[in-house]
Amino acid sequence: MKNQQVAPGVFLLKAGGRFPAGPGQFYMLRSWDLDPLLSRPMSVFDRTDEGITFLYKVRGRGTDLLSRLLPGDELRLLGPLGNGWKQEGKRIALIGGGLGIAPLLYTAKVFNGVEIYLGFQGSPFLLEEFERVTNRVYVSSESGEGGRRGLVTEIFSPGGYDACYACGPRAMLATLSRICHGAKVPLFVSLEERMACGVGACLGCTVRMRSGTKRVCRDGPVFPAQEVLWDA
Amino acid sequence: MHDLSVRIGSLVLRNSIIAASGTFGFGQEYADLYDVSQLGAVCSKGLTLHPREGNPCPRLWETPCGLLNSIGLQNPGIDAFLRDELPRMISQGLVTIANVWAETPEDYAEAAERLSSSAVAAVELNVSCPNVSEAMLGQQTEAVARVVRETRKVCRKPLWVKLPPDAPLEVALAAEKEGVDAVCAVNTVRGLAIDIGERRPVFDRIFAGLSGPAIKPIALRVVYELAAALTIPVIGIGGIATWQDVVEFIMAGACAVQVGTAHFIDPLIGPRMIDGLFQYMEREGLSNWEEIRGCAHR
Repeated sequence: MKNQQVAPGVFLLKAGGRFPAGPGQFYMLRSWDLDPLLSRPMSVFDRTDEGITFLYKVRGRGTDLLSRLLPGDELRLLGPLGNGWKQEGKRIALIGGGLGIAPLLYTAKVFNGVEIYLGFQGSPFLLEEFERVTNRVYVSSESGEGGRRGLVTEIFSPGGYDACYACGPRAMLATLSRICHGAKVPLFVSLEERMACGVGACLGCTVRMRSGTKRVCRDGPVFPAQEVLWDA
Repeated sequence: MHDLSVRIGSLVLRNSIIAASGTFGFGQEYADLYDVSQLGAVCSKGLTLHPREGNPCPRLWETPCGLLNSIGLQNPGIDAFLRDELPRMISQGLVTIANVWAETPEDYAEAAERLSSSAVAAVELNVSCPNVSEAMLGQQTEAVARVVRETRKVCRKPLWVKLPPDAPLEVALAAEKEGVDAVCAVNTVRGLAIDIGERRPVFDRIFAGLSGPAIKPIALRVVYELAAALTIPVIGIGGIATWQDVVEFIMAGACAVQVGTAHFIDPLIGPRMIDGLFQYMEREGLSNWEEIRGCAHR
């Protein structure tokens, strides 16, 4: 077990062991007894046969406790969970905003023919990890540090891609949905919602979609963008 | 010989651990993780006569050792349950309890009647969901009496009634008088969370149901009181997270328990509790639970 700070308040947590996962899937993590009550859902940032890595930002008590884990501490993992994303087509764009970059690295490693768009608020982080997978990594930051000034939706254009995959703030995903719909390029988005069980039993993370109600943890977290009711 | 089984009226369960309604779906999700037929029984997600979409997000809010939920009885309706879910549950060997909610005594009766000829082991009348209507039926003695009376007329299955934590004792006594087979206590505790940034309640419906270890002492107290006042079985529920909690409820007089939110802490909590209870019986030299049930009253 290893915790590494990669940006202010942002950590990479690596646990040793062979944990399976497909691109875009997630695990439920906990390292405590009853408080906080629930485990924390986290998408897989990277995995090898030696270990699994999660990227997270300290937001509350759970992530704070995770960030204090030291080698030898116990971490309980439940997973892999969720549908994840499947490669459709040959030329693929992966788009991530903020901590939404988390599921993209492992996806980039498994998929073929990817180009990556990453958007940050301030100084970018972990770029070299992505650049090791492909030399087509495009970066924006709202502060202008380390990339084109602006939003990732301003440096991305869907032309030429067979399919796009995105994770990040809802406003970013809604904009991408509009852009990709206009260009008739399929977009698959990974959604976030508060979860309790993580396996589809409690219905706590249910969202309304065009085709009815769906559980983000079990039916998702990946959905076709046209399925999502963006104004809801 | 250490016998883990429990008797609830005419129904014998292989052990005291029942999965609580709304925390276990229809058993399929956890069936991916372990053999769920090890459990004493499984209560279905709360069923209504017609399908319900439930409440908008957020539906969950964490509190210290607790969880507020406002799911709002999202379910496919009783007909879809009987057609799609129950056959699968039965084929997996699950002793299935149908949890039912309705707006009127007539609708409770209609729902229970449809379940009467099915393969469910019992019908649990949920008169205590905090997330669907303003009026909490389960606090009103005459209303609960009517629900039990009407369903009793048309349903041959054992009838359980699931009460809110703040129901007056008269409600349970009235349910017993009308012929209910067991009382389940308690449903979630009505609570509130406010988003101080937004300056408004977190939940669309303002109040939500609190579950988890935070409410266990309240549930245990209610079970203790009910066990002293009733002759019918009491099924304990509320914040039960360990096998030691189960023993506490049995000592307070419960015949069996329902485990809910604890599944979210540890998805394998059911088999872990059963294992812990067996080892406890061995250590204590107990041959059955009647040897200690209600012993805290003496």
